[in-house]
Amino acid sequence: MRGMLVLTVFGGGMAQATLGSALRIGNVTPDIPLIVVVLLALRRGPEFGCLAGFAAGLLQDTASGGLIGVQALTKALIGFGIGLASQPLRVTQPLVQVPGLIVLSVAEGVVRFALLAMFHFPAHFGDLMMYVVLPQALYNGFLAAAIVFALAWAETLRSRTS
Amino acid sequence: MKIRALALLIVVGGVCLVLLTLQTRGHGARTADALALVTTPVQMGLDKVHRGALGLWSTYLDWKNVRAENRRLRDEIQQLRVEALRVNETSDENARLRRLLTLREQLPMTTLPGEVIAREWGGWIRSLTVNRGRGDRVARLTAVISPDGLVGRVVDVRPGVSIVQVLTDPASSLSAHVVRTRTSGLVEGEPSGSLRLKFMARDGAGIQPGDLVVTSGLGGLFPRGIPVGRVRAIDDRGSALFHYATLTPVVDFSRIDEVLLVTGQTTVDVAAHFPSDG
Repeated sequence: MRGMLVLTVFGGGMAQATLGSALRIGNVTPDIPLIVVVLLALRRGPEFGCLAGFAAGLLQDTASGGLIGVQALTKALIGFGIGLASQPLRVTQPLVQVPGLIVLSVAEGVVRFALLAMFHFPAHFGDLMMYVVLPQALYNGFLAAAIVFALAWAETLRSRTS
Repeated sequence: MKIRALALLIVVGGVCLVLLTLQTRGHGARTADALALVTTPVQMGLDKVHRGALGLWSTYLDWKNVRAENRRLRDEIQQLRVEALRVNETSDENARLRRLLTLREQLPMTTLPGEVIAREWGGWIRSLTVNRGRGDRVARLTAVISPDGLVGRVVDVRPGVSIVQVLTDPASSLSAHVVRTRTSGLVEGEPSGSLRLKFMARDGAGIQPGDLVVTSGLGGLFPRGIPVGRVRAIDDRGSALFHYATLTPVVDFSRIDEVLLVTGQTTVDVAAHFPSDG
């Protein structure tokens, strides 16, 4: 089980650079590692979410050739935050998870921009939100919905067969 | 639990900030290189899997497209075949009607075109039903012809239709002569579907297979010169008074679709308006 989780985090982190382009619609690509981190953090709690976010983000940073540590930090924060929120808020319903992921994607974008701004990132915040963060957040939501429903269907199937 | 989680977050955050700081101060290359040692092979592996999956998907799509195209082409061929048959049918009908019209325009008598709508083809009776009847002023015993020759005569007129007794009907008989030898005789229908020319033995010495037999015009029922059949065989009965010749009808009664009903009268030989070599 642990091996499976490591593989999921590792695969999720690495998949962005290779599979992200295959899932591209126009200029928008989903943030696969973020989806993986959020879904895992919801099930495994803040510690696992934090570590998974750090690992996936670090791999994503390395693979994409950007500043190493930016996405590691933002995704670790998101993983931690959502893991922490999942317990009191009981955000286990797909209808809550999907809009939640959209909001988290936007939050991750804002945090990432804030962090990069400290290193004199040149892009304009409005443009970044309009053309990158918001479309990607919506795409993440749709993709997450598909994944959540697929997982639910698989679990139902497994419970029927067992 | 919460303290441990918070400590973990602080550590993680700290590591990230250290990494970022190191990079901004120009020491990030080593860290990136070290991480790349792990990530690059995995990336290459994933890329191979990705390419393989894409290739597989592309092959599947190709196969699906080829299959769909195959189905579409089959349907198209089927449609084109039906279309070709329809065109051929129309073309044949056009040719037949053209021949009928030409004959109608050339003949020195009035005629009425009609379509065959039914056939009676048992051995006892051989008849055609034509879509011209009492309302068209068709009279009983009206001669019925086609561009190839004589078809028969009207034996019954009903409202809207007429029944035509075909030459090969066993009850059919008419006066005719061989064109080449002028041998006259009586053409009768046979149950076998052929025709029989009954002629006086002394007149028929020169009849040969292939000779054309036409209506003689005697009796005024059929105009003179309409092809009836061709001699297929001669039944020589030695010293008998009458000899017989078997004829093949010039008209294929089983395939005929359009006819002309001869409503007018003429004493002129109409042989010139029919094919003599067919």
